[in-house]
Amino acid sequence: MTVRRDQSSQKSGFGRTGHIFVFPYVVFFLLFAAYPLVFSLILVFHRWNIVTPMEWVGFKNFVRLLNDPLFAKAIGNTLLFLAVHIPLQIVVALLFALLLNTRIAARGAFRAIFFLPVVVSGVVVTILWQQVYAYDNGILNAIALSLGLPRVPWIIDPSMAMPSIALMATWKNVGIYIVLFLVGLQNIPKELYESASLDGADSIRRFFYITIPMLNPSMILVVVLSTIGGFSLFIEPYVMTGGGPMQSTLSAMLYIYNQAFYFGHMGYAATLGFVFAVMILAVVLLQKRLLEREAVVA
Amino acid sequence: MTLARGFSFRLALPLLLIVGCAENKESFSPGSGSITLTYWPAPNPEEIKLADTLVALWNKTHPSVQVRMQPIPVSQSTEEVLLAAIAAKTTPDVCSNIWPGALYEYTVAGGLIALNRFPDFDSLMNARIPSDLLKFFRKMGEPAYQIPWKTNPVMMVCNVALFEEAGIGKLPRTYSEYLQAGENIVRDRDGDGQIDVWLGERDIRPIWWQRLFDFYPFYIAASGGKTLFEGQEESMDRHAAAQVMGFFQECYERNYFPRTFFQGGDPFLLGVKATHFSGPWQVAAIKKFAPTMRYEVVPLPVPDGGLATVHTYGDFKNIAIFSTTQHPAEAWEFVKFLVSAEHDLLLLQIANQIPVRRDLLRNPLFEPFFQDNPEMVPFAEQATYTRGIDEVPDLKEIFDALSQEYEVCAVYGRKSPSEAADDMAKRTRMIMEWNQ
Repeated sequence: MTVRRDQSSQKSGFGRTGHIFVFPYVVFFLLFAAYPLVFSLILVFHRWNIVTPMEWVGFKNFVRLLNDPLFAKAIGNTLLFLAVHIPLQIVVALLFALLLNTRIAARGAFRAIFFLPVVVSGVVVTILWQQVYAYDNGILNAIALSLGLPRVPWIIDPSMAMPSIALMATWKNVGIYIVLFLVGLQNIPKELYESASLDGADSIRRFFYITIPMLNPSMILVVVLSTIGGFSLFIEPYVMTGGGPMQSTLSAMLYIYNQAFYFGHMGYAATLGFVFAVMILAVVLLQKRLLEREAVVA
Repeated sequence: MTLARGFSFRLALPLLLIVGCAENKESFSPGSGSITLTYWPAPNPEEIKLADTLVALWNKTHPSVQVRMQPIPVSQSTEEVLLAAIAAKTTPDVCSNIWPGALYEYTVAGGLIALNRFPDFDSLMNARIPSDLLKFFRKMGEPAYQIPWKTNPVMMVCNVALFEEAGIGKLPRTYSEYLQAGENIVRDRDGDGQIDVWLGERDIRPIWWQRLFDFYPFYIAASGGKTLFEGQEESMDRHAAAQVMGFFQECYERNYFPRTFFQGGDPFLLGVKATHFSGPWQVAAIKKFAPTMRYEVVPLPVPDGGLATVHTYGDFKNIAIFSTTQHPAEAWEFVKFLVSAEHDLLLLQIANQIPVRRDLLRNPLFEPFFQDNPEMVPFAEQATYTRGIDEVPDLKEIFDALSQEYEVCAVYGRKSPSEAADDMAKRTRMIMEWNQ
């Protein structure tokens, strides 16, 4: 009996201590995660512009969403961005990771250089690239003119603007994916390559039959992270193009932001946000399932 | 201008905290029984200097009603600060930087007091406001929340040297004359195959307030002074809107305007753009950054055939009293002090801005100023023929849609002008319906 009571009091003592330690996070979570989530769910059925009282509108925000061509356009633009950005990101990151995994001089310095854009503010990078892409006096067009080529309308031509933004986003984020691939490459057992070499596999076969399958966990992570990052595309079009030309760079996040903070339609923005979050979840789950299935097949 | 026009709810919540913590209704009282009013002017150096002068003059002569001047807290825009202050109930007693386009939101939020409660309001309005403008700011039977203070009429500033170089003696007044001028002015100066002297240039990004300085003033001019609404109903003059769209479409199609935005400085001040659509602030910019430039200010071009009187957008900034005031009568006295003729002269002299008053070019008080500053005379003449912006909800969203139609039609030529005008009207009605 005595032992049991001691254990029980010890257990409840730990419980109390545990609760005390957990309490700050619980408060933080309730204030900054649970409350905003519940509040935005309430907003979905209301019209509210922060200043005036909330007004119940039922499903009107959903009806508007279904008839809103700009939201559809913004989703299409975001998918175009992903279609350019993700493959480019993977190819470039993998290429540099393979290079940095070899014994080259100043390898550490190169790794730091490639990672540098990741830690620079997104706004700063975008302003910098605005100068790079500028039609009249941008760096790229200065090079083009010096080579006798015409100026390129990088961000003022509707068909070029989003791919140009995807290129910039790749430059900005590639460092983090290089690191992820490097970790994956360094975890591949050397014995596999040795064994394959003994069996007569050349470097291309070793790459496709050992490196790529063994990198699958890193690949899943890279694809999922860059998909989520790509869906939240905001700073680049906001700073660089304002969503133009002809709404070709209007991303879903930018559109939601405009509705909330530019036009004061908090309820409609919350509705767009919820629908968009469900779409992201569905795409990421689908990607994960496909990649995992490929890994099993391989 | 960019920041001033970035009117939005952005950062509204942090602003609520900032303005919510601001102590506006302080208990400072210089003498027994005295009261203190808080006055927010625009936060630019010229207007702060003007406000300092005016407040010092007032405080000297009104020991029992002291005014404390505090520039509008710096933010993305005045409108977002004022909305946040209304929500936090920390508005000043008086503010002199009220953009009429935001008035609807302020009044719906209960932020302003109706000025027509003061018995001398209408007599002051009748004496001050040009008759052509009065009906836009004073609708009988409706409450009036603002008193027009200053206007910046959007006009065409021309680089005379570029016109002369092209052999053009007469500055264009119609669309045809303007486009004709472009044929001679637009050229490749250094022979690198790229155009480097333009007829004009506008920010092509679909930023809603940019249309207040191209499509909207041209629409007002082409329609003979119409705005986009009558009361709360869309009433766009489709024909005029299509004419304006067609005009800008020609400018871009003929390569007289670049389909880009310049990042190497203001192309007008750099002397690579012949015309610039702007308000009187451009005069100060020319004096400062291009003092040797020869320029002339003329009304905006209008459709062929012309109009006897060319109207334009006035970019008004007005004065209002906020409903948080504890001293409305004293605040009204201060407002009347601000808009007196002597202090309108200070507005001209210190801030180089045009007061909204019908006797501006007749009152001998202002004569010496215009003799010393002849470049301001065209703006003063134009001030009588200006229009503001309609006081309707969702104005930003409507101008955003308008901006997108302008971009598709005028800049990229992917839609006919009449189609764009119809779509603009349709989208305006849709926005109004959605948000009702």
